[in-house]
Amino acid sequence: MAVGESQLDSETESGAEDEVEARVGWRYTVARIKQDTTARLGLYIVSFTLFVAMYTLIDSNLSRLTFGQVSDYTFAQLLPFFDHPTHIPPPGEGTQHMPPYFPLAEQSWNPLPAGGTLDHPLGTDHTGRDYFTRVVYGTQVSVFVGLISTFIGLSGGTIIGAVAGYYGGKVDDILMRIVETVYAIPPLILIIVFTVFIGGASIWYAVLGVGIAFIPIFARIIRSQVLSVREMDYIEAAQAAGVKDRNIIMRHVVPNSFAPMLVYATLQIGVTILIVAGLSFLGYGAQPPTPDWGQMLNIAHRNYMHSNIWLSIWPGIAIMITIMGFNLFGDGLQDALDPQIDD
Amino acid sequence: MKLLKYATYRLLQSIPVLIGISVITFLLANLGPGDPVSLMLQGQEQNEQLVRAIEQRYGLNQPLHERYLTYMGGLLEGDLGQSIHYRRPVADLILERVGPTLLLVLSAYAFALITAIPLGVVAADKRNEPSDHASRVAALIGVSTPSFWIGIVLILIFAVKLEWLPSSGLVYPWRPPSTYRSIDGHLELYYQSLRHLLLPMIALGTLQMATIMRVERTQMIESLQGEYVKLARAYGVPERTILRKHAFQVAQLPIVTIVGANLSTAIGGAVIVETVFNINGMGQLFVDAIQQNDYQLMMGVTMMLGVLFVLGVIVTDISYAYIDPRVTYGESE
Repeated sequence: MAVGESQLDSETESGAEDEVEARVGWRYTVARIKQDTTARLGLYIVSFTLFVAMYTLIDSNLSRLTFGQVSDYTFAQLLPFFDHPTHIPPPGEGTQHMPPYFPLAEQSWNPLPAGGTLDHPLGTDHTGRDYFTRVVYGTQVSVFVGLISTFIGLSGGTIIGAVAGYYGGKVDDILMRIVETVYAIPPLILIIVFTVFIGGASIWYAVLGVGIAFIPIFARIIRSQVLSVREMDYIEAAQAAGVKDRNIIMRHVVPNSFAPMLVYATLQIGVTILIVAGLSFLGYGAQPPTPDWGQMLNIAHRNYMHSNIWLSIWPGIAIMITIMGFNLFGDGLQDALDPQIDD
Repeated sequence: MKLLKYATYRLLQSIPVLIGISVITFLLANLGPGDPVSLMLQGQEQNEQLVRAIEQRYGLNQPLHERYLTYMGGLLEGDLGQSIHYRRPVADLILERVGPTLLLVLSAYAFALITAIPLGVVAADKRNEPSDHASRVAALIGVSTPSFWIGIVLILIFAVKLEWLPSSGLVYPWRPPSTYRSIDGHLELYYQSLRHLLLPMIALGTLQMATIMRVERTQMIESLQGEYVKLARAYGVPERTILRKHAFQVAQLPIVTIVGANLSTAIGGAVIVETVFNINGMGQLFVDAIQQNDYQLMMGVTMMLGVLFVLGVIVTDISYAYIDPRVTYGESE
């Protein structure tokens, strides 16, 4: 072999290092995800939905950011892919397709037949807004709602679970009884009651409600993690060194119990999107004119089941693909982070 | 006897949780922004005397903790207060509506278990073969699809396009056929109720089916690698018998846990599925209560659904203890 000795050395060295921390660490996790076909597919779907969500966010806010100076100009026109006959209207303001002969009469305006036209690939909704645009913009609501409420649940659950697990005893008892009680009310019911309690149907209240409703689940997981981490020697060492409890929890306990939480959080994003879609479907999530898949399905289901079945199909497919992405990615992450699973 | 003792123990253990549920729902319902008095007087002239009289009648002039104690006192006697919107006792309304919801949830679970367990076993047996991949894709779709959309798609296919099945309502098998004018004879009644139940059952059961199938598959794979399976193989027990008996029985335990843990999802799902299929169950009652700002009814329904969930978990715990001989019934020995 014509390999230089130094090169060989460094290779074996790095090889040995890899061997030692072979099954932990970010690089290993990423490598595992890259190997796994389903996880990669999940990663692609998640990246795509995130991209669409961010893109529509920039696009729909552009006119507001520039005080209407370039109100007719959107990023969408820069990309031939999104090139649209008129322009992609910001959510809720796309009423310019409304034909003049049906002013404001929502019920009398029949949506375009299935399949739509070249101008409107998926047809239009009951007010004449392009359905494809609304489905695309719906990504924004679902993805951000999923991310934010999972984050609320995760941080709330981490604090409660870490405190309960670390201190044990009475603190643990009291916190866990409260958590169990909240857990015992079906999430959807709790969220709706909570939403009404803080002031009526709105997507932000729904997000907050979903986040709070999922605190118990995260708290239980992190607590059991903390219970096992608490017995470790390095915690005892920190205690002996006189480190404050709060610092021990934040610097040692939480980071060391975080890997399983990450997996769970990823899977939970899918569940959250599912629940918020259900909330919007019932009318307690996103309010019109915000384009939201659940709310679009609600309108389609109530009024257009017979006249245009496709209105009930597209948002559902969008929900399904988005959630599937997070589920696939979460499953892949789980396998990648689990050192006991072999390929 | 031991089982009975365990059941009592679990029931007693759930009392703090039940009290907690009542406190949470009471606070959420009573501290909310809606004013029940003005709601009751909708369209009428509000005079001081009338408002006083209503407050007196519903005990709204008392301090919060006294109202809670009065409410709990009534609750123990089976009195959940009066619904403001329906002007009837909440307990009566719930009793009327709990049947359809139970029917829906239980049949959805039956559907999920009957389909998921064989599919999971087949997938584990034919691991990494096409049928395994197909079932995994199906499970993934099932986990990722909202129940209400499955309901909508089912209605579109089977009710709107094919016109095979009805798209809304339920026929209850326990009602005599005389209350349904077009149905004569009990067989016809059962047939009709099955026809009505089929679509909502599938819509609600798909998520459960997918979850159970995933667990069943992993459990069976694990179980098939167990020592006892190796032993059975060494003795020359046919592979079919191993699959059906040796490996299968052990793999069923976690399924019980999953069924219990997913019960709250199923109850929440029932609310939405009832809306899609226009079924007059607890879910519709809940949605009505919220829309009408009927705080008494909302409290009653929320508590009832919480109680249903807690009872469901206890039942699964007990059946777990019954199936698994290793469980010590929570006693310290």
